[in-house]
Amino acid sequence: MTARRGRRQESPRDPAAPTFAHRIRTDLPILLLLAAAAALGLTAVFSLDRPVAESQITNRPVELDGDGYVSSDTCQACHPTEYASWYGSFHRTMTQVATPETVRADFDDVRVEDTHGAPMLLSRDGNDFWAEFDDPGWEGAPEARPRITRQVVMITGSHHQNVYWYATGQNRALNVLPAAYLLEEQRWVPRSALVLHPPGQSLAMLNGHWNAICIACHTTQGKPAIDTPYRSEPFDSQTMDTTVAEFGISCESCHGPGQAHVEANRNPLRRYDMHVGLRQDGEPVGDPTIVMPTQLDPQRSSQVCGQCHSVWEFYDQAGERLANASGLPYRPGDELRDSRFVTQPSIDGTSSAMTALIEADPEFVRGSFWPDGMIRVSGREYNGLIDSPCFRQATHPDRTLSCFSCHDLHKGINDTRSVAEWADTHQVSTDGQGDQACLQCHESMADEVAAHTRHETDSTGSRCYNCHMPYTSYGLLKTMRSHTVSSPSATESVELGRPNACNLCHLDKTVAWTADSLEEWYDVPPPPLDDDDRTVAAGLLWMLRGDAGLRAITADAMGWGPAQDASGTSWMTPHLAEALGDQYEAVRFIAARSLRSLPGHASLSYDFMAPEAERADIAVRLIQAWRADARARQRRDPELLVDPEGLPRVGAMRRLFDQRDRRGLFLRE
Amino acid sequence: MNYTRRHLWLGWWSLFGFLMLGLALELLHGFKAGLYLDVQNETRRLMWTLAHAHGALLGLVHIAFALSLPHLPSLDAPGRLRTSWCLIGASVLLPGGFFAGGLRVYGGDPGPGIVLAPIGATSLLIAVFLAARASGSAEVPRTPGNKRG
Repeated sequence: MTARRGRRQESPRDPAAPTFAHRIRTDLPILLLLAAAAALGLTAVFSLDRPVAESQITNRPVELDGDGYVSSDTCQACHPTEYASWYGSFHRTMTQVATPETVRADFDDVRVEDTHGAPMLLSRDGNDFWAEFDDPGWEGAPEARPRITRQVVMITGSHHQNVYWYATGQNRALNVLPAAYLLEEQRWVPRSALVLHPPGQSLAMLNGHWNAICIACHTTQGKPAIDTPYRSEPFDSQTMDTTVAEFGISCESCHGPGQAHVEANRNPLRRYDMHVGLRQDGEPVGDPTIVMPTQLDPQRSSQVCGQCHSVWEFYDQAGERLANASGLPYRPGDELRDSRFVTQPSIDGTSSAMTALIEADPEFVRGSFWPDGMIRVSGREYNGLIDSPCFRQATHPDRTLSCFSCHDLHKGINDTRSVAEWADTHQVSTDGQGDQACLQCHESMADEVAAHTRHETDSTGSRCYNCHMPYTSYGLLKTMRSHTVSSPSATESVELGRPNACNLCHLDKTVAWTADSLEEWYDVPPPPLDDDDRTVAAGLLWMLRGDAGLRAITADAMGWGPAQDASGTSWMTPHLAEALGDQYEAVRFIAARSLRSLPGHASLSYDFMAPEAERADIAVRLIQAWRADARARQRRDPELLVDPEGLPRVGAMRRLFDQRDRRGLFLRE
Repeated sequence: MNYTRRHLWLGWWSLFGFLMLGLALELLHGFKAGLYLDVQNETRRLMWTLAHAHGALLGLVHIAFALSLPHLPSLDAPGRLRTSWCLIGASVLLPGGFFAGGLRVYGGDPGPGIVLAPIGATSLLIAVFLAARASGSAEVPRTPGNKRG
């Protein structure tokens, strides 16, 4: 290697070639533009909020793939329609991580009164939500209950209420904030006021409750992963490494784990064979790698819904520990009762498992069921279904009632409603909203509606649901239709204390009136009736004598359009005003809502959580205004407990009030 | 056969036709036609958009091919014939496959017509390869009166 070899032979410079300075001048604007673009790009990249990976989160349960679950995001690519309607459903948003997008409550330096102990203080720090409150999970002496500040990390519910969960700081364990947010009313309310439970009795708010209990139905494939049985050891000594396949009720909750389906269908030939192929019987080819609930028999298909919409318990502690470690073993298509005890008193009332449950909790049945075993709380519709003759006595799958007889879990293609509207009406199908739901099997009724119902064909009294699925279930501060298809009877009101469908509309008529009508029209033998059943309107009897659950249902019925049309409204004001002072917060809340639906009361200013004196003052003023208004006192029916002047017969009302069922009632919705 | 005229004619009319399709799709947008915009028709929307885009671009390819022919002297007559038919096949099968695939959809899967699209894509690849190979050489194709050396 020599210097000579490395020396370049310099060529004479071309005078026409641009100089370095000239090139800089020419290219400088381009270079500056490129530099500016690069700077902008870098700024954008570094200013983006990068979400923290789930695997790095330690203070709450996290989503993890596994066990064959692939998440609904994977389903979206091939099933955009189904994904879209699921995405708009409240199933998806049953459980959400608390983010600025999902939190709908006001956290901007809000002070919530009436929570246990000192008021709860809410605040926001960037994208994080915080609460300062007296520790609801404290199990020591009440006077030593500590004040804590915790980050709010999860939300339950998105339709009527947001229930918020905070990170306890102990592994992934959560506990519930002592107040929840009512979405329609846009206000915070103490948790205890949202549940119908005995006044003065505190509502248990236990550390780790979400991880151990709620996870089963509010997530997909949840695993509590608590090292020892829940509450078998002090909370501080337990570890909870809780994971889920997906928050909320996702595709795989109802269709089963999707991994095998996804892998099999990467093959386009397989997919098109199913798209265009037909079986020998002319039906489309099914895909054995995934469960289609609508293609299961009515029993199994309804169990898919029943895995959550039922009252159930583990058969034993071994089953509970298995679910704790591996998630609930039930998969869509399985026999539900193989892995859990669906508690339906009318079917299993004398079983040893039921006996054990009642021994452990004497109020277990009363808190969820009417005395004859009909479910009385919301969210447990499967219990109602399996108790229905249309399900129990059906002999052919095509004529057996199932959840899918009335509900579309994906909005139908021919359904012209918006996804939001479909979701808001409990995913009931277009046909399922009317008589067609029943006429699928009871075809002959279509031509003889008025003859059967003894009401005008187009009236609400001729709608199948109103007589055979009346609003006798309670939950979420409202009533819901019974999902046990039944026929109205006076007996159920007299012997069981359950409102009958006739008097839920005809609140101003007596139970005897119902008994006589049913006997005359349908040969239903009347039950033995007492004097009050014969002389006092059912609506008043239930409001005055009934337990808190019955009062809540009756107060709600007074705000129901068809009942107002059938019974008139002028007589309701003093009785709903009286209910504004009920001991049960839930009854007060419902009474106020029904009052606001009465003519002239839409702007009623009343806070069901206000001090007792304030509430009483409003009730008294309402009653006084009603007494002073002769038009309001137009009804003279003696069964409405009014005198010939239309004024209340206070003595009679007091007598019935003294007979009120005052047993504490906790409805376990 | 005058390939230049053939492909200019095909190119411009193809461009016209597929721009008309684009206009039709815009009308479907404008009138919020459910058959095109509803979420269950998302795959149809994608397929027909692809048909419009591929058809219009292939029209431009025809024109480019026609204009390139004088500069591709090494593309002999059989080569021109093959390239021409491959381009025509691509123009029919590629956008046609996308369009037919959108007529009947199965969730995220297009209809069976989509099978034409990869055939058209292969045809286009062959045509582009033949033209590209010819563009790399300025050599005039050999004829009996034009011997090497």
